[in-house]
Amino acid sequence: MKNSEPDPNSTAEDVIPATVIEEKPVLKAVGLAKRYGKNVVAVNNVDITAYRGEVLGIVGESGSGKSTILRMLNLEEQPDTGSYELDGIYAGDLFKLDRSEQRAIRVFHIGIVYQNPHIGLRMNNTSSGNVAERLIVAGVRNYSQLRQAAETSFRASEFPLDRMDDPPLALSGGMQQRVQLAKAIALNPKLLLLDEPTTGLDVSVQALVLDTLRRVQRDIGTTMIVVSHDLGVIRMLADRVMVMRHGRVVEQGLADQVLEDPQHAYTQQLVHAKL
Amino acid sequence: MTGHRTLSELASPNNGYSYAFLDEYAKRELRRKTLKAIAIPGYQVPYASRELPIARGWGTGGLQATLSLVGPEDNVKVIDQGADDSVNAANLRRFIFRVSACHTTTDTLAATIVQSRHRVPEEIMGEHQILVLQVPDPEPLRGVESDIGKSREMHGDGEYGLLWLGLYEQLVRYRRVTIGASYPALVHGRYVMSPSPIPRWDVPKLHMAQHLTILSAGREKRLYVVPPYTSVKPLEFDDVPFRIENQRGWTCRISGGSNKFMSEIPLQSGGAEHEISDTSYREKLVADVKRVDGTECAGVPYYDNETGHFYIGGFLKDEEL
Amino acid sequence: MYVAARGGEQAILNAEQLFHSLKSTFNADDVRRVESTMPYLIDKVMGEGSLYAPELAALAILYTGGDLYESVLMLRAFRSTQPRIAYAKTLVQDDWLTVRRISAAFKDIPGGQILGPTLDYSHRLLPLEMLDNERDHGPISSTLPVQMIRNSELLTRQASLPAVADWQRAEGLLPELPFSASSVSPDSLPDVTREPMHIPADRAVRLQLLGRADTGGILSLGYANMRGYGTVHPTVNELRLGYADVTITHPVSGEPFSIGRVRLSQAEIVTTFKGAAEKPELALGYCATIGWNEIKCIAGSMLDMAMDLPKPHPSHTEDYVLHHTDPVESSGFCIHYKLPHYVTFGSDLDAMRAVTAAGDYLKTTGASVPLGTPGSFSENAPNGAAKSGKELS
Repeated sequence: MKNSEPDPNSTAEDVIPATVIEEKPVLKAVGLAKRYGKNVVAVNNVDITAYRGEVLGIVGESGSGKSTILRMLNLEEQPDTGSYELDGIYAGDLFKLDRSEQRAIRVFHIGIVYQNPHIGLRMNNTSSGNVAERLIVAGVRNYSQLRQAAETSFRASEFPLDRMDDPPLALSGGMQQRVQLAKAIALNPKLLLLDEPTTGLDVSVQALVLDTLRRVQRDIGTTMIVVSHDLGVIRMLADRVMVMRHGRVVEQGLADQVLEDPQHAYTQQLVHAKL
Repeated sequence: MTGHRTLSELASPNNGYSYAFLDEYAKRELRRKTLKAIAIPGYQVPYASRELPIARGWGTGGLQATLSLVGPEDNVKVIDQGADDSVNAANLRRFIFRVSACHTTTDTLAATIVQSRHRVPEEIMGEHQILVLQVPDPEPLRGVESDIGKSREMHGDGEYGLLWLGLYEQLVRYRRVTIGASYPALVHGRYVMSPSPIPRWDVPKLHMAQHLTILSAGREKRLYVVPPYTSVKPLEFDDVPFRIENQRGWTCRISGGSNKFMSEIPLQSGGAEHEISDTSYREKLVADVKRVDGTECAGVPYYDNETGHFYIGGFLKDEEL
Repeated sequence: MYVAARGGEQAILNAEQLFHSLKSTFNADDVRRVESTMPYLIDKVMGEGSLYAPELAALAILYTGGDLYESVLMLRAFRSTQPRIAYAKTLVQDDWLTVRRISAAFKDIPGGQILGPTLDYSHRLLPLEMLDNERDHGPISSTLPVQMIRNSELLTRQASLPAVADWQRAEGLLPELPFSASSVSPDSLPDVTREPMHIPADRAVRLQLLGRADTGGILSLGYANMRGYGTVHPTVNELRLGYADVTITHPVSGEPFSIGRVRLSQAEIVTTFKGAAEKPELALGYCATIGWNEIKCIAGSMLDMAMDLPKPHPSHTEDYVLHHTDPVESSGFCIHYKLPHYVTFGSDLDAMRAVTAAGDYLKTTGASVPLGTPGSFSENAPNGAAKSGKELS
């Protein structure tokens, strides 16, 4: 599987309006469903599409199924039913691939930033090693190349290079998220997944990290899915938004539209609570 | 024969031991597992691993491999740290002889089976020979994954990223790879193996070797093999070559030899002297010096006596550095 | 025949001789006396040696001067030389001659509690007067217990000592057994002495390994579990000591016959709310040994249960418990560190000197966390790797 290069000519201004409407979606997941045990329905028949360069926000309270969806899209968790395709990577349902094939897809084409950096990072390794690992798994066997790639990623995620060999354990929460981001974008992924990327950070740090996320997304033109319970985060990053409750999508549409003029009672409640 | 045979007639006599100690079922299992290991170079084959009258961790894995192979015509050499006269080597040799009535030798070139702990001899071994290495821990992934079930899965997937990450981290922190002995190596381009705690000096000797190498861990119940003429590549980045121990300038205080792996002998007055660790080879060098007719009794070594270069040119990228 | 003999060889012969010369000699009578005076010691050694041979166990104990790890190794090594010539009939509980059977779960149980032989309620006072006295302390005979039982009312009670677990199954508190003992052919079971172990282990493999595990090791891990490293709150459902005849089929006549009587012990523990089923029911842990080894049975049955939990404490996973409690493997590896390691040490030293000589290593990291161990790949602790390895695992 070859990694697709980002289009050097694309910018935020020209990509988004053109692609949303006309192109084939980059990500197409249909009929996702997942139960835990007999009674817990985590995700109930959810369809997701996302286009090249688009940022899709998923909002909802905890337990609404949004994180389960993200884990499925990262191929960490198999759904009970549903299919998942990433355009141009593999012509078929990714859920049907075996463990090592899924791993390859994850390494080459999907980046993820978790709310909890302990899940996404090896806290006692160097930060640069965390980024390099991804390239190692992808087959890079040249030390200088690993160093350069790590530096490039850290620069993009606005992480200070003089600290790239510190272990994440010694870094602040905001810095840890930047290490996760650098790792996530190290191979220019087709899909970037963010799970509550700024939750738990100081407000001022939040703003800086969000700035970086927005800029990185524009620079590499990747498709991004951001999950958050925080409408502020969604408002700042997302082009389009899906509102989830009890494992179902209750409302979706352009972010401005949904957030300015919510139709569903639950969304109205969310928006007003925020205001 | 009239009437039924009694149970005591059917049972084995009280004081008899099988040839080469292990019963034939145990030997058959070991031979089958060894054949399987030969067929899948570097793959760790689990085996039952019987208890032997030698403590576990003292070479019982190597010993089981040897006992499954040895016959009265064999000539067995046993070394520990390169030495034939170490108490442990002497004990194992005594045991193998006691239960198999084989020949024993200290001469690497005369041996049909060489059982060794922590060393590969300095003289190039031939196709007719078998090297049995005692292995304390067969799992090269142990440092990054202690659960055997998971590490077996990682081997199955060829998932060795964490080993390379380990190398990367060492280079970041120390600018050098800091692994001493047990340097992991990729066998036949597929499985990463621990070559047992031999020094880095000895790892290249397993690459495209003429002899068969059996690595056996009795306590951990795994054996694996480097068949003859099989590639064994120590893990190295393209731009950071694998390095053997730097013993340049060291001279053996007994034989005067150099460019062989040496043990460091601390001196009371400070500083240290050095001795070639392969005692059999060292003695041959001493004998050479004494010999008047000018003939050599030592075989061709893996590392050239004069230049120290490895016998397969270009394999060690570090040699000219 | 050329035999390579060196100085080292004489040294090891001398060392062994010196070992034996520092203790008194013994004869066949002493072997029998050890066997009869110290049955619990014999049982520990036979249990860990996984060989029921009281006479050989006594011989091993005397020969090694009472070094129990050495004794166990001698039994195991002897066992290695013995081909498996037959499979005994499965021993079910009803076939036992039970001499001790207690349950902590109920005040009284069907068939009754049988205290049997135990020091549990004795005062542990050293009988110092024995030191000045020529008299024997009580009767000493290996055949006595059976005779004693023959003369007691215990024999008449044997027919009605049902397992406590059977009652619990009948009451729907415990899940039904997946199959009956009589439906399993003994030769279809795995045998850890003949086949390699795999993780996850077959339950028969697990129970065999627990049965021959190091008593101290099992106790230590089990105690950690009892103390709170784990969430099992166990109750001893039943602890049973007894005798049983080992029956095999005669190879010629085809008739079953007893090849001897053995001492056996087993423990079952239960706990609530840990079962796999959706309905809350009791879960059961089990351990059995040859010989009477109460402590190992109780601690082992707790570990058996702990290993079944969905997420056991790291020191109670099957991989951890089964790999670290074998007496021969753990003691052997421990003493192997006495062997010379100067080649590996020299190699490690070389790697360290190369770093210090160059002097260009990272001297500060801005971090107060340890940097991991040089000289190995153990850059991050295995647990850390497992924890954070989620994304790329």
